[in-house]
Amino acid sequence: MNRYIELWIESLPQLLEAMVKVTLPLTLIAFVLSLLIGILATVMRTRSNVNPLNWISRFYVWVFRGTPLLVQLFLIFYGLPRLGITLDTWTAAIITLSLNTGAYVAETFRASVASIPRGQFEAARTLNFTKMQTLTKVVIPQAVRIALPPLGNDLIDLVKGTALVSTISLVDLFQSGRQVAARTYEPLAMYLEVAFLYLIIVTILSWGQRYLEKRSSRYVRSANA
Amino acid sequence: MLKLEDLTKSFEATTVLDNISLDLESGETTVILGPSGSGKSTLLRCLNLLETPQSGTLFIEGDLVEFGGKLTDEQVRTIRKHSAMVFQSFNLFPHYTALQNVALAPVLNGKMNKKDANKLASDLLDKVGLGAKKDSYPDNLSGGQQQRVAIARALAVSPDYLLFDEPTSALDPELEAEVIGVLIDLAREKRSLVVVTHNMAFAQKVADRIVFLEGGHVLYNGRPEGFFSSTNERIRRFLNIFETV
Repeated sequence: MNRYIELWIESLPQLLEAMVKVTLPLTLIAFVLSLLIGILATVMRTRSNVNPLNWISRFYVWVFRGTPLLVQLFLIFYGLPRLGITLDTWTAAIITLSLNTGAYVAETFRASVASIPRGQFEAARTLNFTKMQTLTKVVIPQAVRIALPPLGNDLIDLVKGTALVSTISLVDLFQSGRQVAARTYEPLAMYLEVAFLYLIIVTILSWGQRYLEKRSSRYVRSANA
Repeated sequence: MLKLEDLTKSFEATTVLDNISLDLESGETTVILGPSGSGKSTLLRCLNLLETPQSGTLFIEGDLVEFGGKLTDEQVRTIRKHSAMVFQSFNLFPHYTALQNVALAPVLNGKMNKKDANKLASDLLDKVGLGAKKDSYPDNLSGGQQQRVAIARALAVSPDYLLFDEPTSALDPELEAEVIGVLIDLAREKRSLVVVTHNMAFAQKVADRIVFLEGGHVLYNGRPEGFFSSTNERIRRFLNIFETV
């Protein structure tokens, strides 16, 4: 046991560095981009009368939800060079993670907007709100509250999904732990430490999610009970 | 002045309103009665263009729209400006307080700044007896209170016509009474009200005009006395239901 504790303390700086330099920024950048992609895909799907835009959005969600993240990563990093598109590891990782998470976010947003009662739209119409006013004052504030829990899930999946970038030779938290494990022949100790660090990230994110949920649900009685 | 000519509305193969013509005077309370499925809610919703009729003409306070083609946003907004709707299910915005619900439309419609709108909203909530509930969210209000906020919200856009779509059907009798009380106040002020309801006492005591619909046709249009003493077989059958309950 003492040996494990020594190992954990000794390896912690290296793992934390990989976490702060790769896993966290990758998560953050990909999540912000996936939100933008999700908004775009939702707008194309729900507000567009132009069928091609609607089709593109549905096709995108279909493909990126329907195939493994690892396969997408390999296609973009190893496959695209065959078409003359060569991306560096960071770019490939960010593009893949954002597109993958974006597909889930798009579904989250679509479901949230769809769950707003018809009467809300009718009330806005009879009060002569413009479409933009209805969206910003009525739909989005309510949709955000509904979207928060599933969005939290999307973010947590993304954190864990970043571990796959180790396969295209990015040294993230997982890859860093792997290197130490290989050097010390202590896979149990190292992967326990890696798992624990992911758990900490996810726990902090869950706290943040719960805080936002509480804040955005102030107007709902049952949420305060 | 609100005038309908040859209004026809159908949903796919079903004709819900069949060539309806109607004149409603300003300052009157019109109660629309009829069995369920007779088209009374649809008629009300056509006045506010929540439903678009297939043909006919709607004339409301100097603005006219002819149905048939696609209406422009501008046309719809112009017609809609003249009326405001109160729904059976209230449809308050749950993420805004009572005051914010009422003050929102005047600000978004560009009629008032926020300060004036809040003042107006506050006055209107006092008027419907909810001055003390200004900062409550709809979820913390009873059904009757929510509906009164909804009435204040409709009043805030200063509509020529207030449209009520079964405003008390979701409420139990005690709460119904408090909402009916507000409607009676509005009728006394000579506001123009168009009310779809099953509340016969209200129809009998408050209405200036009864419109009875059956199968998308107007079967009666006139004073309440004439309606409640009508010898028309269909109307008698309708009234008997309420007398036996």
